[in-house]
Amino acid sequence: MQSQTQANHWDIFCAVVDNYGDIGVTWRLAKQLAKEYGLAVNLWVDDLASFGHILPKLDPKCASQNFEGVCIKHWDTPLTQEYQPGDVLIEAFACELPPEVLDQITALHRSGNQVPVWLNLEYLSAEDWVEGCHGLPSLQRSGLKKQFYFPGFTPKTGGLICEADLLQRRQAWQDNNERQAFFETLGLSGIQTDHTVISLFSYESDSLEALCRHWQQGDNQIHLLVPIGRSLNSLGAFVDPQGPLTPGSRYSHGKLTIHLLPMTDQQGYDRLLWSSDFNIVRGEDSFLRAQWAAKPFIWHIYPQEEDYHLIKLEAFMAFYCHNLAPEIASAWKKLNIGFNQGAQETLPSLWQQVDNAHSALTQHAQNWPNEALNDADLATRLVQFVKNS
Amino acid sequence: MKTAHELRPGNVIMLDGSPWVVQKTETTRSGRNAAIVKMKLKNLLQDSSTETTFKGEDKMEDIILDRLDCTYSYFADPMYVFMDAEYNQYDVEADNLGDAAAYIVDGMEEQCQVTFYEGKAISVELPTTVVREVTYTEPSARGDTSGKVMKPATIAGGATLSVADFVKTGDLIEIDTRTHEFKKRA
Repeated sequence: MQSQTQANHWDIFCAVVDNYGDIGVTWRLAKQLAKEYGLAVNLWVDDLASFGHILPKLDPKCASQNFEGVCIKHWDTPLTQEYQPGDVLIEAFACELPPEVLDQITALHRSGNQVPVWLNLEYLSAEDWVEGCHGLPSLQRSGLKKQFYFPGFTPKTGGLICEADLLQRRQAWQDNNERQAFFETLGLSGIQTDHTVISLFSYESDSLEALCRHWQQGDNQIHLLVPIGRSLNSLGAFVDPQGPLTPGSRYSHGKLTIHLLPMTDQQGYDRLLWSSDFNIVRGEDSFLRAQWAAKPFIWHIYPQEEDYHLIKLEAFMAFYCHNLAPEIASAWKKLNIGFNQGAQETLPSLWQQVDNAHSALTQHAQNWPNEALNDADLATRLVQFVKNS
Repeated sequence: MKTAHELRPGNVIMLDGSPWVVQKTETTRSGRNAAIVKMKLKNLLQDSSTETTFKGEDKMEDIILDRLDCTYSYFADPMYVFMDAEYNQYDVEADNLGDAAAYIVDGMEEQCQVTFYEGKAISVELPTTVVREVTYTEPSARGDTSGKVMKPATIAGGATLSVADFVKTGDLIEIDTRTHEFKKRA
């Protein structure tokens, strides 16, 4: 396998924490940098088995392999593959770089040689403080300079990951009404054009059971499409928790049908989001992809101590809703807060309010991506940031 | 060694062979509960300040300089004057107090620690907790007694911070000087 060892390459280090989030973001970024900027990128990942869930062709036992122009390297401890310093060194989400890497760049610095631009790519947040921290140096005891790079929703932040042609591809998919054909490729049956389709990719939550109970008693036929994962831990009353939860399984309860799907690659997940009427997403990667899907969504945010995640949720919702009709914004915000707080008693009525505003929310969701991007996506801003460093 | 999260205005750390005094800290939370600490640091050799960001768990070499327990005496623009038990006076530049200046008020009795570098008073470290009077805050809007609903308040000295909804003008409150957070009614 070809390794990106030439001098002008970038290295991205990713420690997998929850299977899909961190690796999802770094894999997308690496692909985009390679494809759209012609950069040689090494993506170092500590857990190739988890990575394989979203890149099924990946061989978890192979130390170095190339996909989509990116050289994927196994980050083991101690590091058995040689690290050669390139132009840029990114530690994703504040992961601790291997000591072998730090030793090399420290030696370069002490000998007066050029060291890579060293960045800590942080988590996405819509909070005010992000603008004030984006791009700031982080002085190191060794004298090396690291900089914090914060994704964000404003021009003074690092932007949002979005491939150059993504919105056009999504629009074409939705204009051409590819959804029925897509559902057929997934082996899904019984979904008619007037049925409501909801995709579900959340953490465990008591809210799911409350919503399912509401949906099963509703007037409309609802299909809940659930890739195998953590959401199912909260759906024990609706699926067979004793039986094997295998892709292709289907469970019907009144007006609700739950379809289990295999975990998919990133393109497949995008298409699932584009094809659904409503998406329930989590964390960072699927949260952002749901925005690019231009459909209404619930964001199940990663829970933090002292309910700090609710502050992050509020900050995002303020951005998202700033030009949305107040009554619709209020309903959507309450639904998101209620879902994240597990407000089982009020969720049915909150859902109903949002469902009644589905057309307006969809229209808003279609306008949102261009507004959120502020003319430049994360990769574009990142490449420029490195040039200016 | 201290973590970035543990540092507070007045601490001095070594970075790249230079001593830096912490002038201001601001802790925020990134994803997955990770703390991010934004700091204003002053290089004691070059007399220049910079803003920088650290992970909360980044380890810092804090250096122990000469320190003296002092009390605040008066302000002689732009110097804050502190006095030790033997009535020696030490001038500290207002800039070097950073966020601590917000809690300096006439008549305060808390013991502060004045730090010296090469014989010069360079910073002041406040106690972890200070008690200050709330000089203005709006009346409770919701009658909340849980302490979870917050509202802005101005304290003696002019600083503003968020306090529990049940706090009233004239109350004495405890404040954490590291995080600038309201702790409880004193």
